[in-house]
Amino acid sequence: MPGGPPSRRFIRSPQNLVAGLALVAIALFAIWAVSDLPQGTLRIIGPAMMPRWLAIFIGVAGIAFLVAGFTVDGEPLERWHLRGPFFICAGMLLFALTIRTPGFLVAGPLTMLVVGYGTTEVRRLELVLFAAGMTAFCIVLFVTILDQPIPVLNIPGTPIRF
Amino acid sequence: MLDLFANLGLGLAVAVSLQNLALCFVGCLLGTLVGVLPGIGPIATIAILLPITYGMAPVSALIMLAGIYYGAQYGSSTTAILLSIPGETSSVVTVLDGHQMARQGRAGVALGIAAIGSFFAGTVSTLVIAALGEPLTRLALIFGPAEYFSLMAMGLVFAVVLARGSIFKAITMIVLGILLSTIGPDLTTGQLRMTFGIPWMADGIEIAILGMGMFGIAEVFRNLEARTQGDVFHGRIGRLLPNREELARSAKPILRGTAVGAALGILPGNGAVLGSFASYSIEKKLAADPSRFGRGAIEGVAGPESANNAGAQTSFIPLLTLGIPPNAVMAIMVGAMTLHGIVPGPTVLTRTPELFWGLVASMWVGNLMLLVINLPLVGVWVKFLQVPYRLMYVGIVIFCCIGVYSINREPGDIVLLTMLALFGYALGKFGFEPAPMTLGFVLGRMMEENLRQALIISHGSFTTFVQRPLSATLLAAAAVLLVVAFLPAIKRNREKAFVESDA
Repeated sequence: MPGGPPSRRFIRSPQNLVAGLALVAIALFAIWAVSDLPQGTLRIIGPAMMPRWLAIFIGVAGIAFLVAGFTVDGEPLERWHLRGPFFICAGMLLFALTIRTPGFLVAGPLTMLVVGYGTTEVRRLELVLFAAGMTAFCIVLFVTILDQPIPVLNIPGTPIRF
Repeated sequence: MLDLFANLGLGLAVAVSLQNLALCFVGCLLGTLVGVLPGIGPIATIAILLPITYGMAPVSALIMLAGIYYGAQYGSSTTAILLSIPGETSSVVTVLDGHQMARQGRAGVALGIAAIGSFFAGTVSTLVIAALGEPLTRLALIFGPAEYFSLMAMGLVFAVVLARGSIFKAITMIVLGILLSTIGPDLTTGQLRMTFGIPWMADGIEIAILGMGMFGIAEVFRNLEARTQGDVFHGRIGRLLPNREELARSAKPILRGTAVGAALGILPGNGAVLGSFASYSIEKKLAADPSRFGRGAIEGVAGPESANNAGAQTSFIPLLTLGIPPNAVMAIMVGAMTLHGIVPGPTVLTRTPELFWGLVASMWVGNLMLLVINLPLVGVWVKFLQVPYRLMYVGIVIFCCIGVYSINREPGDIVLLTMLALFGYALGKFGFEPAPMTLGFVLGRMMEENLRQALIISHGSFTTFVQRPLSATLLAAAAVLLVVAFLPAIKRNREKAFVESDA
């Protein structure tokens, strides 16, 4: 950290500061999201009362963390490693897009191939074989044995539907 | 007393049907299979496997879930011992001596004594559940909304006190959990809250999806940055059964661990977590040579593992009698029961005694299964641990996707899973714990319902919570606990206790 010894830095605990900002943002978002609902009275509580007061509490807590960010020495921000979350989230979103049509036979391998790139240690051939094997294993386990409602293959315009 | 055994007999008659035995067995097996994956604790395991119980009759589904639950518990002890990766907070202490034993080539004995201790603890706590079930149910029937609200408030205060790290952060997390629980339809008017017109948000957030996102996928994110290839188990298991000397050393720790764990497990607000920590420090204090601890002392595995299992089992008591889940795992069980049309609470025992006693008996059967079937299968689980993490996490993610999709057959739920996973990862980066949030999330809905009912009955007056003696007592206990937790001396000790266990 630049700027001399910890006690003289302007921002003394970056972790608290950013956490506080995030909490305040969540609180404002929630308050906005219930702004069109009635709050009711204590006798008959409306739908907005609980969320609104909880959000106000979160907001106040967020401000406390913000203040602590400038006044109390604390943790620095942790490093974020984005490669894993990026590929895994992309893979899962692809699963959501493809699971109904064309079905698991496509969604499964596709998701696994994308998710597998979430680590720098990825080995292409090994991943392809693993994805193929796991796809077969999942179909046998979840569809054949456990009878789960997962579309295996479903191509619109053709009679193919499993 | 005779009643107790007659009831357990009724339960056994339900549990020991061939079909239910088979389900309990498959549950145990699958529970261990998923629970043994590094970083996947009982919460994520149950969430992933929940969908496979959908087509079953309620009794069978619950029996299978009980099997999954114990399998998952045992699976996370296995990774704690072999890989030094605790699947949940309560197996953190198992790592200390269990992993040392494994490094000395005594992995088998550590796993064996864990299973034996857990079985003993499970047997005792099954009897505790059977004995306390009926009286507590009678108590629950005189509870009104005000008492329920106060009891849950007390549970949340317990959870705050027992959470790791800053108390203030834990409180914030609980409130955030309650806020998340208000997403979805309003309980009295049916108006949708914070769903933004998205159809798959209309029912609110499913607890299983929350569990999988925050404890499953988010854990994968964390593991991917921390782990390198070297983390697979290469050692030898060795013999499984402890010898006479090891058994003699373990007998008393198992007894003490069972007592401590069973007592703490009944507390609302995740008392079960304390059990293994408490047992470890008791054994260390009583030992003739405390320096052996942390270097592979078998007492340090036997005691905490027994306490862990005893607590895991008695934490069913508040759930089954009062309908209040005391921790995040039980919260998932509530979700599971609700899916099968069972509302946990006093009515389970009064309306469907065969369900209640069948579940209690199958807990014991599940424990027995673990001992006689899972222990010999240890070699198979070890094979799983030899799969490198670069492939293992791909499997975990696809299991989570399938699990989430089968809950409602709704691709949108997977989008929600993605968001919750990122949220859980971010929480960890800011030093917040997801466990108190999960508890707040589950209790939140019930608390709001009871708060509103209580205020309707009292015509909008908050004094109802202190005028009713039972409710006032519960709130007073919660207040005292919170004040005590903030006392400087206690606060220091509390932080020290958790630091020590992290080492």
